[in-house]
Amino acid sequence: MIGLWRAARGNPILQWEYQRIRRRRWWPGRRFYLFYPVLLGVALGIGVMLLATDEFGVRVAAVAIAAILGLPLGLLVWFLSTALPWIAPALTAATIARERGMGTLDLLRATLLTERSIVLGKLGACMIQLWPGILLLILLSPFQITGQLVGGLGSGLCLCPCASSDGAFLALALGFGTEYVWVLVALAVVLGTLRPLAALALNAAVGMFVSVLSRSTGVAVAAAYGAVLAMRAFLWLLMSFMTPMFFLVLDPAIFDPAYAYSVSGPSQVVQWLPSFLPLLEVVVEFAGAVMLVGGAIWWLKRG
Amino acid sequence: MAAIVETKGLVKRYGQLTAVKDLDLVVEEGAVFGFVGPNGAGKTTTMRILATLLRPTAGEARVAGYSVRKDRRSVRRAIGYMPDFFGVYDDMKVWEYLDFFSACYEIPPETRRRLVGDLLELVDLAHRRDDYVDALSRGMKQRLCLARALAHDPRLLILDEPASGLDPRARVEIRELLRELQAMGKTIFVSSHILLEIEEICTHIGIIEAGQLVATGTLAEMRQLIQSHRVVRVGLTGRIEEAHAWLSGQSGVMGVEPVTGNGEGDLEVMFVGDDEALAGLLREMVIAGFPVVGFREEAGDLEDVFMRLTKGIVS
Repeated sequence: MIGLWRAARGNPILQWEYQRIRRRRWWPGRRFYLFYPVLLGVALGIGVMLLATDEFGVRVAAVAIAAILGLPLGLLVWFLSTALPWIAPALTAATIARERGMGTLDLLRATLLTERSIVLGKLGACMIQLWPGILLLILLSPFQITGQLVGGLGSGLCLCPCASSDGAFLALALGFGTEYVWVLVALAVVLGTLRPLAALALNAAVGMFVSVLSRSTGVAVAAAYGAVLAMRAFLWLLMSFMTPMFFLVLDPAIFDPAYAYSVSGPSQVVQWLPSFLPLLEVVVEFAGAVMLVGGAIWWLKRG
Repeated sequence: MAAIVETKGLVKRYGQLTAVKDLDLVVEEGAVFGFVGPNGAGKTTTMRILATLLRPTAGEARVAGYSVRKDRRSVRRAIGYMPDFFGVYDDMKVWEYLDFFSACYEIPPETRRRLVGDLLELVDLAHRRDDYVDALSRGMKQRLCLARALAHDPRLLILDEPASGLDPRARVEIRELLRELQAMGKTIFVSSHILLEIEEICTHIGIIEAGQLVATGTLAEMRQLIQSHRVVRVGLTGRIEEAHAWLSGQSGVMGVEPVTGNGEGDLEVMFVGDDEALAGLLREMVIAGFPVVGFREEAGDLEDVFMRLTKGIVS
């Protein structure tokens, strides 16, 4: 962490870009950060009310507060988790391509800056621009449940990356009595936060990679969105293929109709396995992001 | 003197096009080397290879003793590169621009402040310190770019067409700056497509054409080469064919060609000899009764003459 801070302090590109971002009119001032502890306090309060007491009245009150706050905040979560990953490629795609278009990329490359610090500096600057949103998304994670309800309604339409922790919902809706319900709820919350962040990382990395290849900002941004859509489609295919594969490996008997409709039902592993599949997707996305950024650095080095 | 730039059999190909063909180039430390050639001759490509921005297809280039292929970082530390465009960020102030690039050269923040002041003083921009780079004139931007290339105190400056697109005054200013830098002991590798533009400040000149070095040497050597081959334009009111044949037979005349296009009807005479000999040729011509109305040396575009001559030498 300290190493990362030092690297950021020592990266002239990141430093300069941060200066530029701070000069912008829309960049929130320090007062904006007061918003965060308030949110954190509300979420913690509700959590304490729900978990620290067995009293029925308190629990009902907590659920009521969560429901009232949950709708607007859930909408905000849903908006952030949809918007952030789709803003990121536009930001990153414009970076290196813009430098190349202005002719300043050669100047940077002729200095002692390494290709790695150029790419990471630019990427870091894009993340700084999205940082208020990212932080808000993380702090709003307790409201993921409501966000997912909202998002779930429109997930088919708007490619919302957070809207398919279906396993948790299945458990919530059907098997409220099962002993795993809290695990599944927690998982849904964590995944609901991690998935848009992973999507953001992958989309940003795609944008960065395209940027290194492009000569003009306009082309880079358009190509980045094309590449992101293609990448999403590929991931969707990959995950749709992997889900039945998992079932097949872990519990082949589930494909036997006689067994599936039997009184005992499918095994418990199979019951909550689908909830963990998005976790796999998150890992795949982060790994893909790292590889793409590495690829971008490599390509820039090739000159 | 030791060579600070040395290339051996340098080749750069872009697909079918060969931009640099087997280039052997030596620039000595402390020299001001003028790299002259027409547009598309391979000047920029060569300079970009030396600045480690392009990888050569074949051959080797060493800058300050380091290979541009293997030891790019050491090469970058030794050179200051100025491309043929300004390359300035529009939303930066003058001092921020220099501060940013100093940081890119790993100069610690404590010394940067002073350095930026010194650099601005050197290129005479101290009074524009807090202006946006965008607000500067072309000449000022060019000087700022030069200051940027000097931030890490490089031994070699690679300047690609530093005077192109500048008004005469800005040109003189850049020239004066380069003189000053030479006095500070820097080696300057400067390109231009107009020989006259850099002739005054160069100690050495290399002529490149179609990716090949056609002539190289000290300024004195080059001057001699140029002066021993003169081009004289002769205007006649008649007997042109006759004069053509007569001139071809005179001593010192290397060739005669009728001028085409603008000034048709004139003859262009390639002549080797000093002013006395040239005056003698005119006298002989008049005595021989040719109706001479014009007799002047084509000195306007020295480089143009030079290009033609070097072509002759090669073929």
